[in-house]
Amino acid sequence: MSAGMSGRRLMKELGKIHNDGLPPGIELVSSGESEADNSDWLLDIRVLDDNPLYKDQVYRLRFRFPKAYPIEPPEVTFENRPDRPIPMHPHVYSNGIICLDLLGSQGWSPVQSAQSVCMSIQSMLTSNNKNERPEGDEQFVKMNKSRPRDIQFLYDDNTV
Amino acid sequence: MVEHDVTDSTDWLSTPLSALTPLESALRCQVCKDFYTTPMLTSCSHTFCSLCIRRALASDMKCPLCRANDQEMKLRSNWSMEEAVEAWKGARSRTLEMARSRGAPGSPKRKANEVELEEQTGSKRLRSSARLSGKATMPSYAPKPIGGDDIVQISDGEEEFEPEPDDGLVSCPSCRKRMKEWQVFTHLNTCTGPSPKPKTPPKPQLGAFGQPQQKAKDRLPAVNYSMLKDNALRKRLADLGLSTQGPRTILESRHREFLTLWNANCDAVYPKRKAQLISDLESWERAQRTGGANRGTMVKDKEFDGVAWAQKHGDSFKDLVAEALRNRAVAKSKSIPEDGGPAAEHEPRKPAEESLPFPSNPAAVVPITAGDGVAMLSRPANEQEDQAIHVAVRVTESSSDIPLAGRTYHAQNASHGEPRPRQDCDNVVPAQFDPGAHGTGFLRD
Repeated sequence: MSAGMSGRRLMKELGKIHNDGLPPGIELVSSGESEADNSDWLLDIRVLDDNPLYKDQVYRLRFRFPKAYPIEPPEVTFENRPDRPIPMHPHVYSNGIICLDLLGSQGWSPVQSAQSVCMSIQSMLTSNNKNERPEGDEQFVKMNKSRPRDIQFLYDDNTV
Repeated sequence: MVEHDVTDSTDWLSTPLSALTPLESALRCQVCKDFYTTPMLTSCSHTFCSLCIRRALASDMKCPLCRANDQEMKLRSNWSMEEAVEAWKGARSRTLEMARSRGAPGSPKRKANEVELEEQTGSKRLRSSARLSGKATMPSYAPKPIGGDDIVQISDGEEEFEPEPDDGLVSCPSCRKRMKEWQVFTHLNTCTGPSPKPKTPPKPQLGAFGQPQQKAKDRLPAVNYSMLKDNALRKRLADLGLSTQGPRTILESRHREFLTLWNANCDAVYPKRKAQLISDLESWERAQRTGGANRGTMVKDKEFDGVAWAQKHGDSFKDLVAEALRNRAVAKSKSIPEDGGPAAEHEPRKPAEESLPFPSNPAAVVPITAGDGVAMLSRPANEQEDQAIHVAVRVTESSSDIPLAGRTYHAQNASHGEPRPRQDCDNVVPAQFDPGAHGTGFLRD
């Protein structure tokens, strides 16, 4: 039981997606490299309204689930591909790293799921109208070698 | 680990009984998404599995659902929920089977309407099949007292002598259910005879002398690890019968998880034995180490083919040995006693000469001072030896794209056998890193 806490929970999330589907604008692309290792998911999200910043674009999210998931949050980043750009947002760095409190250990809650995180990111994009990157983006992207989970973000924007 | 019996409340959506989805969802823990195991109530009146809520509270002291502060001590058992879950679990598979066999293509809503319609028109087929299935599922139900609240079922086997309890009730001469005297007559009209020996709930198993097995009753208090020296922590682990191997972070997480498992077990109606808990803990630790998002610190698993690995990476080892010897020479010439560093936390282990997994690999016995880039190769750590060698190879493989400091970090990181880079990072970084070079210091959004 305890051996596969994250594995089992992820299987359940997959089962739910299989049975019930995902909300509009969210699609599961892949759920792990193999059946045995389902800790790395790819999902595509779209913004549903006519926000000119994100209209007609599809963005790809990569989820990395730690072994202690769901007690610990997954690592969620945007993936850059030819047909999958990194969305412009004051909390999304151009290397795909997302500064969102619910992905940090303070804001995370074990009742969240891949689906709820996708919906949060979707709504974070929907509500944005600033066509800009975070402050210090260039420097951060150039220098950052650590993984998102090891970065100390300072969450100061409550409008998102 | 692939589970084949993964069930979910949405299983009902494709059947005519889609209305059961919210019902079943209410019987499942929001953390593990599984049926409640030993459900506990929080101060904010939310319910979770004992293990889930204890793990969550150990992590951030908040209710996962409403973020209200809470403490493990304040958790209370939710027996009614446990009863409901057990009953539903017993009924579920047959009900689902039946619902699926009746399932027709179409939207769940339409199907639900169909059922209502058929029930209204009194379809004979539906009724009889419902009744049949009711009988058929009986044995798998958790036995429940049948009838009013004042009927008490005795679940003991016939052969056991049971003294008549002095509760003002009498037992049915046929099925031995306890009830009030006036109820016996009417009950006998419908009594189906001695009830089959119930399969569930299992009775607490008896030990060798008819004593209940060691019952985990006393909860263990939380420990403030920062107040605890290494040896004190090791002693605590040893007192609990747990392994004392590994670096500090591992010891702490092992101890913490065992407390969680133990205390959750205390809540259970039928607690497991301590040996079972220890094996649960071991499998938890294995799961924490292998694969997943922590690929950077993969450690040896049981199928690891050491010989093949040694052959394949022999050259890398030789290079490392050479480098290590060079470093050692340099270190000696400087004659700086570098005993600090992360390695100092480790307990001294058996000498390297004993039972080396790679007899052909001299790297394992090269004595190097801690603080070298490949210092961990000198750690003669029996089962952890392979780990250290694995580490060394990783360093060479990845050295092209990682700066020097990064190599140090990786090597020490993995040689801790540490599955969670973050914690390790916390330990290692201040001593070894210039934070500015890694962009961890300036990031402010």
